[in-house]
Amino acid sequence: MIRDITIGQYYPVNSPIHNMDARVKLIITFLFILTLFFINTFLGYVFVILCMSAVIKTSKVPLKFMLKGIKGILIIILFTAFINVFMTRGEHILFEWGIFTVTIEGILIAIKMCIRIVLLVVGSSILTLTTTPIQLTDGIEYILRPFKKIGVPAHEIAMMMTIALRFIPTLLDETDKIMKAQQARGADFDSGNLFQRAKSLIPILVPLFISSFRRADELAMAMEARCYHGDENRTRMNVMVLKSSDYKAVVILAIYCIALIILRFLAARFSFIW
Amino acid sequence: MEMIKAENLSYEYIKVTETEKGTKEEKILALNHVNLSIEQGSFVAVLGHNGSGKSTFAKHINALVRPTEGVLWVNGYDTQNEELIWDIRQSAGMVFQNPDNQLVATVVEEDIAFGPENMGVPSEQIRKRVEDALNAVGMLEYKQHSPAKLSGGQKQRIAIAGVLAMKPKCIVFDEPTAMLDPVGRKDVMNTILQLNKEEGMTIVLITHYMDEAVKAEKVFVIDDGNMVLEGTPKEVFPQVETLKSYGLDVPQVTETAYELKKMGISISQDILTVEEMVGAICQLKSTI
Repeated sequence: MIRDITIGQYYPVNSPIHNMDARVKLIITFLFILTLFFINTFLGYVFVILCMSAVIKTSKVPLKFMLKGIKGILIIILFTAFINVFMTRGEHILFEWGIFTVTIEGILIAIKMCIRIVLLVVGSSILTLTTTPIQLTDGIEYILRPFKKIGVPAHEIAMMMTIALRFIPTLLDETDKIMKAQQARGADFDSGNLFQRAKSLIPILVPLFISSFRRADELAMAMEARCYHGDENRTRMNVMVLKSSDYKAVVILAIYCIALIILRFLAARFSFIW
Repeated sequence: MEMIKAENLSYEYIKVTETEKGTKEEKILALNHVNLSIEQGSFVAVLGHNGSGKSTFAKHINALVRPTEGVLWVNGYDTQNEELIWDIRQSAGMVFQNPDNQLVATVVEEDIAFGPENMGVPSEQIRKRVEDALNAVGMLEYKQHSPAKLSGGQKQRIAIAGVLAMKPKCIVFDEPTAMLDPVGRKDVMNTILQLNKEEGMTIVLITHYMDEAVKAEKVFVIDDGNMVLEGTPKEVFPQVETLKSYGLDVPQVTETAYELKKMGISISQDILTVEEMVGAICQLKSTI
């Protein structure tokens, strides 16, 4: 039943984006998200959407997968739009009703905010769809390494993520078993209102927690038996090496950023609101 | 040369039990002045019922637990010495009962690389070690698989490969087949035997399956922390009454031979396998 859930959303094809170094992809995604908050004209968004389409095309991942993430946050998008439409004050009032005033400025800001959120979700989807969870954790470990001096436990964070990923299927299996065992003894998980259903989950969570602690204890012992002692003197089988394509990606990112700055400058110069 | 040598090895811990009158503390002697030595390249089995102290003994070999009294040498290293702990764990690997709770990574080859990575082996060598280890357990084709999708026996072989990649001299198996189906058990046992015969690996097999123990060169029986019997399987298993008093079974055919003897049929008592039994019965038939 719940066995078939896939972990992460990695879409396995061979593309230039898939082959890129995870560290570079992480940094590019982070900068991309930052630039989204820098754009204030529709022209800017059109430019971003064009660039993004080009990246999606190169990644060979069907657009359907990219847009999947939007479904989950549809409510947030609608809520943001609602707040912006009704709460923005402006000169060009379209209509007024009680405390609600709808202005042209409000509508424009609402549209921009929605585009921003959609681009943000799709942008991060490109990262997770083209990078395996292991590459991601490795990348995070490398990027956080410089911050170790100020007390960021980079290796431990990555190790925790790896173990969590490793145990998700195991614990799902176990949940399934516990549910079936309880259903066999007459437990009912499918009827009743939300509260009753939530309540019926408690007898599943208790044994699941207990067994997780037992597993953690055994795993810790097994890891120690295999000489685990943190990241002191630790080597890695897969060493991350930057390829020429990674440098090219960084150059493209730089061009993209410069283009955005020019666009913004031009917009300010000619007081262009579109 | 002795791979493992215990002298007066004792381990004591305090067990706290909650009763109605409050907490009760009692001292429990899990191992009581155990003396034994295991030769390099040998295959020994340690038998004992649940709670007999056999798992505690296994954990001592890996320095996961330290003796409260006495000394234990592993590959010449004293396990009491804190500084030698990584050398000890490197020379004596350990495979546990539950295959699910000892695999760390989400990809088979990453998991096998875990040990060598911890030891600080250079990257190029790790890859070679991983391939060799997977080859030794016959799982090379599963290199890129996720452990979650493998069967219990396969996971246990991956765990063995994970230990092999550290190039130990000795592997301790703590009931490695207890959670496996018959096919998985057979696969894992074959792998263990092969490691002993072909690679000359010292094997310490903790088990309560008698048919696995008969394959060992030497058998130790632990009962309530005491080393009560030791010898070759042919010496130990005919002592049917003694073994039963320790809460252990004997191989089916050995018990049959014992019962036949009790009925007045003269049949050799050190029969351990079905083939030997067949031979003995055929001989009997020809003498009648």
